Amino acid sequence: MKTLLTIAWRNIWRNPARSGVLLAAIVAGLWAGVVTVGIINGLMQQRIDYMIESEITHAQIHHPEFLAEGYSWLYIPDHDEIISRLENDSRVLSFTSRTITDGMLQSPVKTSGVRIRGIDADKERETTTFHENLIEGEYLDSGMSSAILIGQEMAREHSMEIGNRVVLTFEDVNNELISASFNIVGIFRSASTDYDRTNVFIRSEEFIKLLSHKPVYHEIGMMLVHEDLAGEKVADLNDHFAGIKAQTWRQLSPELSMLVELGGVMVIIITMIIMAALAFGILNTMLMALFERMREIGMLISIGMSKLRVFTTIMFESVILTLTGAAAGFLLAWITIGYLSGSGLNLEMFAEGAAQLGWDHIIYPVLTPGEYVIIIIVVVLITLISSLYPAIKGIRINPLEAAKSS
Amino acid sequence: MAILQTKNLSKVYNPDTVPVHALRDVSITIDKGEFTSIVGPSGSGKTTLLNMLGGLDKPTSGSVWVNGEEITSMKESKLIDFRLHNIGFVFQHYNLIPVFTAHENVSFIMLLQNRSKKEIRERADDLLEQVGLGDRKNARPVQMSGGQQQRVAVARALASEPKFILADEPTANLDSTSAMNLLDIMNKMNREQNVTFVFSTHDQRVIDRARRVITMVDGAIHKDEYRDVEETAEN
Repeated sequence: MKTLLTIAWRNIWRNPARSGVLLAAIVAGLWAGVVTVGIINGLMQQRIDYMIESEITHAQIHHPEFLAEGYSWLYIPDHDEIISRLENDSRVLSFTSRTITDGMLQSPVKTSGVRIRGIDADKERETTTFHENLIEGEYLDSGMSSAILIGQEMAREHSMEIGNRVVLTFEDVNNELISASFNIVGIFRSASTDYDRTNVFIRSEEFIKLLSHKPVYHEIGMMLVHEDLAGEKVADLNDHFAGIKAQTWRQLSPELSMLVELGGVMVIIITMIIMAALAFGILNTMLMALFERMREIGMLISIGMSKLRVFTTIMFESVILTLTGAAAGFLLAWITIGYLSGSGLNLEMFAEGAAQLGWDHIIYPVLTPGEYVIIIIVVVLITLISSLYPAIKGIRINPLEAAKSS
Repeated sequence: MAILQTKNLSKVYNPDTVPVHALRDVSITIDKGEFTSIVGPSGSGKTTLLNMLGGLDKPTSGSVWVNGEEITSMKESKLIDFRLHNIGFVFQHYNLIPVFTAHENVSFIMLLQNRSKKEIRERADDLLEQVGLGDRKNARPVQMSGGQQQRVAVARALASEPKFILADEPTANLDSTSAMNLLDIMNKMNREQNVTFVFSTHDQRVIDRARRVITMVDGAIHKDEYRDVEETAEN
């Protein structure tokens, strides 16, 4: 075995330029591929994490018809019992209740449709990272009454700034139109300009007073110990409470769920392209090497080298060459991803466009150990498969080749 | 004692289109210790016969026997193993493994035979000394002359302790001095160690040294003569 390995290793370096080019191609290809996969993963993961942590949370509870209709009278029944159950569940890290309805925002400039979100400033801060989106002014825990937070895009469209007043108009739980004025205390900017144009935040306690004579909540968002627990938690709530609809973030945001799947598909496509290039690179190099050594291999079979040993030598040659390049490529990719996961890949030039699409322009690539292992396994399998043809061709060489004059 | 025998050996290429009769009913017997040349013009069938004797090609009819064992009906894998332990080859183009040193080239065949490291090292050293390359054992083929490479090839052929050695035009690519030197070495091994050599050759220098000359014409044995040859070994 050691001898076969020695032959394989020395054969690789028989033509250093050719082997070097293939090695460089493998290193560059795998490095680029793995880093790209890491960037796509990071991009998707950041988007998902941001959406979950800043707004959606792992799971939400609504009146069964609220999300489709949006009326204020479609509030959550048994709210207090649900809260009590959440407080006593170790799987729940934190939760917050929101009072929500759709309405109109009127400024001296224009009127536009908005989703009015009444939040408990403290509970919201414990549950989501929305408060981190504040870029100007104060959060809702300031002392000012009738405070409102608006998005940067809305402020721009309505030409408003901190201290200006706006009027919100909406229907209360009795289907009566209510109008109230609010003071702009803060301006936020999320990853999505569309979200910033269509959402405003007020205190839930003030909102409830305008909507109803009793506390009404339309949404309960909860963060769990782990995202994977969302499915069982919503099933548990749906089983226990008849008049509600609990949903996981995947059910609440099918587009986000689709994004995860899209990311997976893109990773597979990129991996397939890299693997196809790798396979053809190995095939080309090994076949060239084989055709150059027909007489030599014929001689080996003539003098008594078994076909299994010839096969093994050719396989060793492909595997050593490819895996050496692959190891270097992976190492380089690991270092690159390690560096970028700390500092981030700053795509400042695309910041504006990315924000309109709801994406962050600083990407932190991510590749889990499991993904590294999967890619390594795929590389090894592709190497073995693409080495098979040259190796089989090698053992089919007629020993009479050894006697040929040219 | 016959170590190599062919019985009514025939080989026809392209039997269904344009038949070419490379061998016609060839029956020969070669005894241990012979120093035999197979000669004849190009296309006379000497290389085809040599390939049959070495189990590298299959006859259309007839059989080849080595040391009492028929090799023509052997399965390919068994035949490869049989060649490893029974037949030594010297090729016209030396066919050394270019990435190995002279010592490694000679050792390689013994590694295939799974011999002990000590035995391999000592035998390879000894054989390289015998062919006059004791001081070139770490040289790679590209660092050696044609004559030196062919001497390594002879040492490699002997390394496996075969029943006989088949040499296809071994001097064809060598200058006169190298050719004579190689013949001296093979002659000496034949005389002193009773190693059996069978050559196919055009080279009159080889023919002059052979104690038996089999002349082939049109795939058939035209003449088979034993001769007394004056020993001229210098080594």
